[in-house]
Amino acid sequence: MNEFSQRLGIPPLQADAPAGATKIGIRDLNFFYGKGHALRDVSFDIPTNAVTAIIGPSGCGKSTLLRSINRIYELYPDQRATGEISIDGSNVLERGFPLSDLRRRVGMVFQKPTPFSSSIRSNVGFALNYYERMSKSELEARIEDALRQAALWDEVKDKLGESALSLSGGQQQRLCIARTIAVQPEILLLDEATSALDPISTAKIEELIHELRERFTIVVVTHNMQQAARVSQRTAFFHLGELIEFGKTSEIFTNPHEQRTRDYITGRYG
Amino acid sequence: MAIPARRRTADAVALAFAALATAFGLLWLFWILWTTLAQGAAALSPALFTQMTPPPGASGGLLNAFYGSAVMIALGLLLGTPVGIAAGTYLAEHGRYTRLAVIVRFINDILLSAPSIVIGLFAYELLVRPFGHFSGLAGAVALGLILLPIVVRTTEEALRLVPDQMREAGFALGMPQWRVTSQILYKAARSAIITGVLLGAARIAGETAPLLFTALNNQFWTSDVTGPLANVPVVIFQYAMSPYDAWHELAWAGAFVLTAFVLLLNLVVRFLFKRGAKR
Repeated sequence: MNEFSQRLGIPPLQADAPAGATKIGIRDLNFFYGKGHALRDVSFDIPTNAVTAIIGPSGCGKSTLLRSINRIYELYPDQRATGEISIDGSNVLERGFPLSDLRRRVGMVFQKPTPFSSSIRSNVGFALNYYERMSKSELEARIEDALRQAALWDEVKDKLGESALSLSGGQQQRLCIARTIAVQPEILLLDEATSALDPISTAKIEELIHELRERFTIVVVTHNMQQAARVSQRTAFFHLGELIEFGKTSEIFTNPHEQRTRDYITGRYG
Repeated sequence: MAIPARRRTADAVALAFAALATAFGLLWLFWILWTTLAQGAAALSPALFTQMTPPPGASGGLLNAFYGSAVMIALGLLLGTPVGIAAGTYLAEHGRYTRLAVIVRFINDILLSAPSIVIGLFAYELLVRPFGHFSGLAGAVALGLILLPIVVRTTEEALRLVPDQMREAGFALGMPQWRVTSQILYKAARSAIITGVLLGAARIAGETAPLLFTALNNQFWTSDVTGPLANVPVVIFQYAMSPYDAWHELAWAGAFVLTAFVLLLNLVVRFLFKRGAKR
């Protein structure tokens, strides 16, 4: 057991799973909220079929980075990004890149659960219905499949017609994950997806992340460093809009190169 | 620790004043309800809902007036609601950050506070004078115009109450705007939007001035909305001004039913809103 895992109270890190090729390549990404400069010249490569954690103090730009990848920031006219984010080699920040296609391939789960005011079934079927024409039985099968993948099926199988709002917070969040993976994206963005949940729900979702890692490229933003250490293979540390350090999670947490990273993960600020 | 006597006195005085003010406000409401009920009691009979407005000296009911009012309110809702919800949606969603929305919202506020008699005159110029006679349709248009800005405003506010996260969640799934609006936002804001429409309906149910210029009145049963159409507010107005006791009673009974209807609508709204808040 090494010094850092001891300090964090977590089991020693497993050997790093071999991370695959680059899934998301970020080059010279700059992000602006009106005149505020939230990300500065960020460049790094997010590997495929692995979990990459983005950590850093509040306001460092972690969520902004996620929101750039699926261009959800475009809902707000004063926000803009420059630079390049390429998924499988094509730059998704380019004007002409079809948004619907991008967002189908890049799913996102938010900090607060966001169930729609409709039944559990139609929450999961919602986007599915839009993208694919399929028979009722096929749709039911896909909904079940998504709920199983999100480890929610056993808890909701008898009440698919009930309102999604009747579920607990942890269940709602897994429903949101089910809804997102139902359309079979390639990338999953989790924006502090467990920070509003109790420890048991958090553990369930972390377990889920472990399982989903094989099929998706996952990027998690988290305030919780133990969580980053537990679930991720790569970690990027941000501070004041800059990428300070990026590397294998085990290295970032045991032997960071940068003093600021060391200070942050040992709890000296942030 | 004992509370100083001065503070206790101040508290008692403030509480007494607040209670008195509340009682003062409620007093009028109950007085109005009581008066309409007491004065109209004699005419509150099945005949009220089965017979036509009578000529002087005869007995009768208000069936044609209730029917005319119902038709014009329904047509007004039919005219004002779709346009109002669409415009409110534009203000809250599509045009959220545009200058046009600011202008539309401003004009809507003016329409919202326009005196109803002005709306009545407008409908008169538009739909009565060119045709040479009063009509229920013109009345419905006037009521629709009064309803419209109410629905625009309440729809916009209802949609704004839906957290941005819900929009983001919808758009993050790659859904286009129309689908996010129709399937997520309308569902989340449903009870608030319906509340706005029902409150608008309650408002136009009692409007008299715009109907004086448009639908006017009709002593007989008719289902023809292109001609003059009886309606409760104008009947109340004319009967209350008349010298006949039987007409007075009918006017009071009409006033009672109208007040009760508005009260009922408000209660329905309360009920809806409570359910909406719980979910």
